[in-house]
Amino acid sequence: MRIVIAEDDPLLREGVALLLRAESLDVVATTDSPDTFLAAVDAHRPDVAIVDVRMPPTHTTEGIEAAVEARRRRPGLAVLVLSAYVEQAFATELLAAGTDRLGYLLKERVGRVGEFLDALHRVAAGGTAIDPEVVAQLLTRTRSDSGLERLTARERDVLALMAEGLGNTAISERLFVSEGAVHKHIRSIFAKLDLAPTDRADRRVTAVLRYLEETQRRG
Amino acid sequence: MAARQRKPADTRRDDRQDGGQDDRHDGPRDGRRGVAARARGLFDAFEHLVGGLGTALLALAGLLWLVLVALTCVIGLGLLLAPTVPRVVRSVAERERGRLSRWGPEIPDLGPAPAGVRAALADPAVRRELCWLLVHATLGLFLGLAALTLVMDAVQDITYPLWWRALPVEDPAPTLVFWDVRDDADAWAVALLGVGLAVCFLVLGSGMARLQAWPGRRLLAPTADMDLSLRIAQLSATRAAALDAHAVELRRIERSLHDGAQNRLVAVTVLLGAARRALAQNRPGADDMLERAQETAEQALAELRTVVRSILPPVLADRGLADALAGLAANCGVPCRVDVDAPGRCAASIEATAYFVSAEALTNISRHSRARHATVTVRRESGRLSLRIEDDGVGGADERHGSGLTGMRSRIEAHDGRLTLTSPPGGPTTLDVELPCGS
Repeated sequence: MRIVIAEDDPLLREGVALLLRAESLDVVATTDSPDTFLAAVDAHRPDVAIVDVRMPPTHTTEGIEAAVEARRRRPGLAVLVLSAYVEQAFATELLAAGTDRLGYLLKERVGRVGEFLDALHRVAAGGTAIDPEVVAQLLTRTRSDSGLERLTARERDVLALMAEGLGNTAISERLFVSEGAVHKHIRSIFAKLDLAPTDRADRRVTAVLRYLEETQRRG
Repeated sequence: MAARQRKPADTRRDDRQDGGQDDRHDGPRDGRRGVAARARGLFDAFEHLVGGLGTALLALAGLLWLVLVALTCVIGLGLLLAPTVPRVVRSVAERERGRLSRWGPEIPDLGPAPAGVRAALADPAVRRELCWLLVHATLGLFLGLAALTLVMDAVQDITYPLWWRALPVEDPAPTLVFWDVRDDADAWAVALLGVGLAVCFLVLGSGMARLQAWPGRRLLAPTADMDLSLRIAQLSATRAAALDAHAVELRRIERSLHDGAQNRLVAVTVLLGAARRALAQNRPGADDMLERAQETAEQALAELRTVVRSILPPVLADRGLADALAGLAANCGVPCRVDVDAPGRCAASIEATAYFVSAEALTNISRHSRARHATVTVRRESGRLSLRIEDDGVGGADERHGSGLTGMRSRIEAHDGRLTLTSPPGGPTTLDVELPCGS
């Protein structure tokens, strides 16, 4: 897996590179600005880009724009966006065009190396990685008549992990239950929320996120 | 009359503010400075009197126009010209307001005069302007002419021994000299008279300037009710500035927290994660990573301290403005004397503003002024905190170049305070700040 990192804070950039190299992953370039990042994408043809949202010159959303441009130049490029804050509206916007090969994580998740590597591999393999914080915000802001209250506590846990982009196996490992049990929970959730059942993780993320978004409290 | 509160004896403040000689000094060390300031005060008084003479001539012209219009009313022509009178009076009065605002409390402009004679006469501001016109065209004119004559005669007489021999014989004495000048002794007597005239101006000059300005300060300043509406407009503007300054400040804090401590802490978690991973898999390098994590955490703490200090310096909260400023002076690149006589505490936001303005000013002095000494003086009286920062550097500080001064001004005006910068090319630079701080 060939990886390019775009992060303007030198300490963090080298920290992430160090961590990934220690895991024998192939970090082909580390860059500190949108321009050098795009040049590196052209030159090194990476599989995955890890991109900070805030980068020079204005430190607002340069990272996002650079990631969009990189995907335009190199379709199929997986992008994992790292952010210092979680902004749910922002996540929604980012994921509006589709959740394939996309991740949106808080920066400190990198420190949970196992989970971070899972997310990285998932995104590289075509899946999705949504930060638990984004999912938590989506869940707390839904209307009271959204149907979520019909879910059991365990079903809500499963729903949250589905929304993060985890597959059945990963969910069963996280919750220490069998895959069969996870499968059963998911069928029940889809039935209670009136969603068309599917086992494919990527389709599921889109369906669940859209559902949560549509049931947002207005105003 | 001094339009501003007179300051206690040891306050060295800008005496040009009221054309007087408030300037006194607190020791022989400041003697030469005191004399220089006194001379400057006298020069300013002369300048004000001559400036006043200018507006007095305008007032006289306005008064003559008024009389002319009144007389021609008899033949009807005056009735057509009458509406011009309030406009003429207002434009002369605005000129005087501008002049007085330049060296004393600001007198706001009132805008165009009411249209129509009846409306104008109903307006108390116009009636007060008419009174002022009468007084300034007579008393103001007299004082201005007297000062000019006094100073010119003094100069003429003092220098008389140098050039009296060049005069034709039939013109033996200058103005105000009632004896014939035949030899050097007589000429030196003329010079003595000149010295007498100069002393006269020395004693009377600033009083004359104040007396000349007094009708304007009394009659052209807004009355209580007008003052209130102007005050509301001004307060609305400064309140908006306060909110802006607040938002800018929050943005600055957010940015420095994000770029500093937050990024460091994220790096710490990344390094800790990598170290744990290495330990769990029995790979080498964990200790190295832990050491880097610790260093990074220490940097995060240092940056947090910097941010916290920039929000409200702990020394300011614990020890007060005097000690906080002494700390600033100790770290200043230019030798700096701090003289604080401000008993009691002001509101935290006022003290913080005074502190940051001083910090910014001292930074500017270290960077740009090439000064050898700087002085920070703080006084508190009648509900105002006055802060003065002086240096003996190259001057030429300009508010339009460099956002530091603009930032200072908005921060000060947000608290309804005032900032005055005097920085002629060649120096010295003086920054005067006044902040309201309750009583």
